[in-house]
Amino acid sequence: MANLNIKNKQENTYGAIVIGSGMSGGFAAKELCDKGVKTLVLERGRSVIHNKDYPTTNMMPWEFEHRGQMPEDIQRENPVVSRCYAFREDAAHFFVKDKEHPYIQEKPFDWIRGYQTGGKSLLWARQVQRWSDHDFEGPARDGFAVDWPIRYKELAPWYSYVEKFVGVAGFHDGIPHLPDGEFLPGIELTAAEEYFKSIVEQKYPGRNVISGRCAHITGNAEYYAKQGRGICQHRTICQRGCPFGGYFSSNSASLPWAQRTGNLTLKNNAVVHSIIYDDAQQKATGVRVIDSNTKEVTEYLAPIIFVNASALNTNLILLNSTSKRFPNGLGNDNGLMGKYVAFHNYRGGVSGEYDGLKEFTTEGKRPTSGYMPRFRNVDKQETKFLRGYAAGIHGSRSKDVNYSGTGADLVKNMMSPSYGPWRIGSHMMGETIPKESNYVALDTDKKDEWGMPQLKVNVDYDQNDLDMIQDYRDQLAEMFDAAGFKNIRTWDDERRPGLDIHEMGGVRMGHDPKTSLVNKHHQLHACQNVYVTDGACMTSTGTQNPSLTYMVFAARAVDHAMKNQG
Amino acid sequence: MNRRLALKQLALAAGGLALIPSCDFSEEKVLAAYDELQITESQQKLLQKLVDTIIPKTDLKGATELGVHDFVLVMANDCMSAEEQKQFLSGLKGFDDYTKKTFGTRFTKMDNAEAEKNVNAILEGKPTSNGELASQYFLQTTKKYTIQGYLNSEYVMTALMPFQLVPGPEFNGKKEIVPGEKVNING
Repeated sequence: MANLNIKNKQENTYGAIVIGSGMSGGFAAKELCDKGVKTLVLERGRSVIHNKDYPTTNMMPWEFEHRGQMPEDIQRENPVVSRCYAFREDAAHFFVKDKEHPYIQEKPFDWIRGYQTGGKSLLWARQVQRWSDHDFEGPARDGFAVDWPIRYKELAPWYSYVEKFVGVAGFHDGIPHLPDGEFLPGIELTAAEEYFKSIVEQKYPGRNVISGRCAHITGNAEYYAKQGRGICQHRTICQRGCPFGGYFSSNSASLPWAQRTGNLTLKNNAVVHSIIYDDAQQKATGVRVIDSNTKEVTEYLAPIIFVNASALNTNLILLNSTSKRFPNGLGNDNGLMGKYVAFHNYRGGVSGEYDGLKEFTTEGKRPTSGYMPRFRNVDKQETKFLRGYAAGIHGSRSKDVNYSGTGADLVKNMMSPSYGPWRIGSHMMGETIPKESNYVALDTDKKDEWGMPQLKVNVDYDQNDLDMIQDYRDQLAEMFDAAGFKNIRTWDDERRPGLDIHEMGGVRMGHDPKTSLVNKHHQLHACQNVYVTDGACMTSTGTQNPSLTYMVFAARAVDHAMKNQG
Repeated sequence: MNRRLALKQLALAAGGLALIPSCDFSEEKVLAAYDELQITESQQKLLQKLVDTIIPKTDLKGATELGVHDFVLVMANDCMSAEEQKQFLSGLKGFDDYTKKTFGTRFTKMDNAEAEKNVNAILEGKPTSNGELASQYFLQTTKKYTIQGYLNSEYVMTALMPFQLVPGPEFNGKKEIVPGEKVNING
């Protein structure tokens, strides 16, 4: 018995544990393994191996039974995930269905999840704009949150490091509040986007239209071949999983890389119940895991623990990690864990048509589109609302099909499409203000089938968001009009929070342990061998897609852990 | 041809046999649709004739030849709400009687020209009765799915409007249009 225990303990002891295998967890694992650490990655979902487990990636459109559309019964049974733009026939298997992992909406909230190896890194929109000090200094300048304990200068070399590995296509646009990165060749704008760009730069000095920096390999093929990845082939069906590894995901890049070091152990179907805190040693010593199939409980031990379960799940695990020392959750001495949750405001949209550039169209496909960095409140506060928004800009030449008639007339009509006007669209990417009243908490009564407390989500829009939406609509419509676009329409789609799929916060970073949970190195203030580098640690949201920054956090934090934890 | 070979070699280098096409399209879906919707043989023939009327064989293959009538039923079975399904089936089941009463001949007995003319008439008409409404809804829905099934067929997406699963890394945001060049909606 004693020998059995000792052997079992040895087998379950690692140099580090990473909870979660998505964007941030995958990158943390890669960094730890590269540095020689025997690393255990715990993933609550099933195994998805790059290329082996992409069932739809080579399917032709006619091979989908419903040609892409989700059947009505699946949509009816899954109202939350059905609202996600990528929940269609070709990628539905990578999404958590609504009944599988229930949560409690105290206010309407669409929690979009992917429980499998790589998590949502298989499904992301692949935009990777850097943060700048406009973002890191934002809370202090505008007084809406505690100060970030880090600045761009400290992160810049880590951005370059991460971008190099990931493979980021972009142009050097020279915009101070949206810093340039370590770029592969950028992907050009369409003729209509270029035209709009010229009008904006001429009539609205200080505003820019650029090609969105995206995590697609467009050069340096030899370097990425060492990862087993190739040049992006512009399939624009990334959500199926890419056979070329042309876009970045944990599955195609970080995890295989870590695997090749020989230092990685990846356990799937591993529901992390809690982190074990040892009162005598005054530190976390491991994690308690429930096998999602057998319900068997196992404890894994390690001197370093990275919590990258994704923002809300990281909150859930930490809150559930109670002990004598931490009755309210690991590290939650100030009672703020779960509070100051925020997200991105994607409600606004604008569209128009352009009758010019009639002699041109586009050729080929591309995995990105135009992007307008934020232009409100950049140098100083100037609007009724705090912070601001960025905008997607996409212009494509329409191809009009005439569906009128029946019989031979219809056939002739359908087979004679013609070019219509350029169609210009824009979507809003707004920053939201973290508030104590926006929170997640554990339900003390309702549990899921693994005995985990269900998460209560109480998150909503506020007046700042509504004012921002209106401004976005007004400004974009005005610029579209200045460009001579016709049939301009603007809308607010009134989507629920969460459908932006960028929920953040709850375990925010800050200088002061009394008003934050995590320090400048991503350690819990009160339990410093536990690191949080996913969305949970966000003090504010910026407008940029956050995945790149999460990976930067992971890489920088692992570096710190190596230098400080033994 | 060279490009295809180069892409295949790149695929092999990048991920092994990743690009060998997978195809698990199931006939079960089609059988399930006929069974669950309780489509009789005569209704099947009616639908087939209707689909053939909407997109007949010309110098191009027609919709029925491509099995589009099966697609229509799969979509009706799987993608309609209960209420929509009820309306669709009501229109389908009552269609022959409706055309008999309205045009003097059952739809399934009409010749091609007559069928086409009358389908157009119903689609473009302003319904004043429940029967008319049911038939129009049925026709509009069937036309919509017939077009969708036809345009997304292997035949159209390979021979007529080619779709590329692997377009390749070239993108030109400002291509000059060559006058007379055919517009490809899948290009």
